[in-house]
Amino acid sequence: MHALKVTNLRLKFPGAPKLQFKDLSLAIGRGEKVLLLGPSGCGKSTLLQVLTGLIPNSIEVPVRYDYLVIPESWGFVFQDPDTQFCMPYVDEELGFVLENLRVPHDQMPALIDEYLRQVGLQLEDRHTPISALSQGMKQRLAIASAIALQPDVLLLDEPTALLDPEGTAEVWETIRQVAKDKTLVVVEHKIDRIIDLIDRIILFNAAGEILADGSRDEIFSLYKEEILRYGIWYPGVWQDYVSSADYAAADRRGGDNKADAAVSAEASAPLIELEQFQALRGKRAITTVESGRIMPGDWITIVGRNGAGKSTLLLGLMQLVRTRGEYRILGQPAESIRDLSDLLAFVFQNPEFQFVTNRVWDEIAYTLRLSGSAPDEIRRKVDDLLQQFALTDQRDQHPYQLSMGQKRRLSVASAVVKEQPILLLDEPTFGQDAQNTFAILKKLEIWRRGGGAIVMVTHDLNIVRHFATQVWQVRDGRVVQYEDPEHYLGRPAADGSGEQDIITAEDAARREPPGEIGRTRSEAVTDAPREKVRL
Amino acid sequence: MNFEHRETWLHRVNPSVKLLAFLLYFIAILFIHNINVLINLTWANLFLLFAYSGHPYRRLLLYASPFLLIFISSSTAMMFFGEGETTWVRWGLLHITEESFYRGLHIGFRALNYAALGLLFALTTGPVRLFYSLMQQLKLPPRFSYSFMAAIRLIPIMFEEFQTLRQAARVRGGLSGRGPGAAYRKLRFYAIPLLAQSIRRAQRIAVAMEAKRFVSNRERTYYYIIGYSWRDALYIAVLIGSFACAWWIGTGWPYFDITDVRG
Repeated sequence: MHALKVTNLRLKFPGAPKLQFKDLSLAIGRGEKVLLLGPSGCGKSTLLQVLTGLIPNSIEVPVRYDYLVIPESWGFVFQDPDTQFCMPYVDEELGFVLENLRVPHDQMPALIDEYLRQVGLQLEDRHTPISALSQGMKQRLAIASAIALQPDVLLLDEPTALLDPEGTAEVWETIRQVAKDKTLVVVEHKIDRIIDLIDRIILFNAAGEILADGSRDEIFSLYKEEILRYGIWYPGVWQDYVSSADYAAADRRGGDNKADAAVSAEASAPLIELEQFQALRGKRAITTVESGRIMPGDWITIVGRNGAGKSTLLLGLMQLVRTRGEYRILGQPAESIRDLSDLLAFVFQNPEFQFVTNRVWDEIAYTLRLSGSAPDEIRRKVDDLLQQFALTDQRDQHPYQLSMGQKRRLSVASAVVKEQPILLLDEPTFGQDAQNTFAILKKLEIWRRGGGAIVMVTHDLNIVRHFATQVWQVRDGRVVQYEDPEHYLGRPAADGSGEQDIITAEDAARREPPGEIGRTRSEAVTDAPREKVRL
Repeated sequence: MNFEHRETWLHRVNPSVKLLAFLLYFIAILFIHNINVLINLTWANLFLLFAYSGHPYRRLLLYASPFLLIFISSSTAMMFFGEGETTWVRWGLLHITEESFYRGLHIGFRALNYAALGLLFALTTGPVRLFYSLMQQLKLPPRFSYSFMAAIRLIPIMFEEFQTLRQAARVRGGLSGRGPGAAYRKLRFYAIPLLAQSIRRAQRIAVAMEAKRFVSNRERTYYYIIGYSWRDALYIAVLIGSFACAWWIGTGWPYFDITDVRG
């Protein structure tokens, strides 16, 4: 008996040149735990929507098939934690689901508490604003609303793509708990935390055809190359990248680069000096740097828990929020510099927010035109950057038409066009697939070795491990500096502060030879007792 | 948007009852031409606002400050430029007559009344309770109610995005400048991403709602049941009482010996 089945599915998005699916057939049995893998744009999410009838009932897309089994009851968890709810409070949202199922009014409060308990959301009051929850908690609420539908089949469309490592761990732990006796269909790129839960993988190619369908281990051993090419965060992807020629070419630690950097650092003056520097929100100091220097060739990663004030510090350096204390750039007080964007480049988390033109080429040229550079020089620089960031073929497109990875590269390219010595980035690899992440990190590394300094907010400890030269940890509103990233990564797990990044703690506690990093992390998180994960 | 406040009996009045009573009251005020009555009514409404909105006075004064402006602007416009026979001041275009003065004052008080009433309604009626009541008492289709409630959730998100866009504009360094060209660029810079994001969000929320088996035209149960209570009767009694008292005092002990500002 199949839980989900479709035969000879044909689907075409209006305006698309080709069919998204051509005669696709697929069947998933009761209780199977299936992972759909493939490059972005291959139609995995669309398939989930067809299999539940959301297409064409809720999303009008022309679709044809010979035979379709929609499960009697199913629950769906979407990607974006901010667009799954229609009510302002936790209890009201679950109440909304129960209303849809016509559950009598007086049974609702008890059921709501029960579903919240099942997903481990122990709130003091069920009437808590959804906006007060962390992104990971929101996704767990989304799971609770799916569970409230008492589904046989649970469909998850990249539920952790927009979460930090802590939220990701929370969400998969919850799914592990609730999905035991259910059919599970998952679309996800970050699979290192769930892979042990999956028993079958269906691999798609870019044309939306099924490339392979089989057991997890079979697919992993036979299709490694495709999985790598599709940018999937499989366990050990970092290890493979670090041992690749690509990383060796970009890596400063491979040779004498570190020594070179040290020598040149002594010779040159600091780019940024901070003394009792505070970034404020309103009148309140959010982040304080007691004393800090940023030298050419530095790659500083700012880490810390959600809401610790990492982004505020970055905004403070760009003078986009008010600051106090001493802040010098190239020896000059920051207040006295007329246009900070001549010296600092800034890349926002969402690339779309910084696009100001209708064309990729113009987007990069924009700042140069404003500063009145000569047309020849503009053309030379822009073409050069397009080349460097692999965007030459997209030069005439609208920035919004680009893929996720291209948008990200464009946002960096257009930010660094003035050849500023310092580059500030707010989680530039967030939500990107593995290929895009490595591509952007490589670009940044080359840029850094050209003498620039990078200050970057990130949650990804692998970036800290493999790229950072220094770590600034924001903790209780203060910046704790680690001159050597290894000191941050290897510090003892229990320092009693309760401020530990959970994954770091587990990771550090179980550190093993580098060959096992990816796998160790996934086990560390999944084996961790509940309290620790929720810490 | 959601500030701490005390809950008063006005918060527990059935929102549909409150809305209908409020609309009737609104219309009734339009037909008061006796300035003395209207002034008394204003006191009554301001009293209700300050005594039973449940919000602290300082915040109320802050909210009410624009209404002072409305009072002054709407009354002075009529005072300075209105028609009349008994001239007090004439200075160029400006022409203040006794009639226009009282008429202006009257309009000012009417605006103040509306402001106080509207503010009281807004401060004592949460959107969720309002829409649940509209669905249950006035049979508003759930489709509209839940869409509105979902839309309210999006407002703070848009606000944050607007902040980010402002920062991005400063970073790109180029949205300064004057003239229609720059204004158009600015408008486009803010409007396109905000709209694009909002449309995407609205679409996603709609799909998510249907994935939670939301069907509009079907009987549903309710998490909140909004019924009637003695407070509804009290509310209507207070409104009628204040109207009657205003009338009685206004005609018995007038401030001005004018009974109809229309002349």
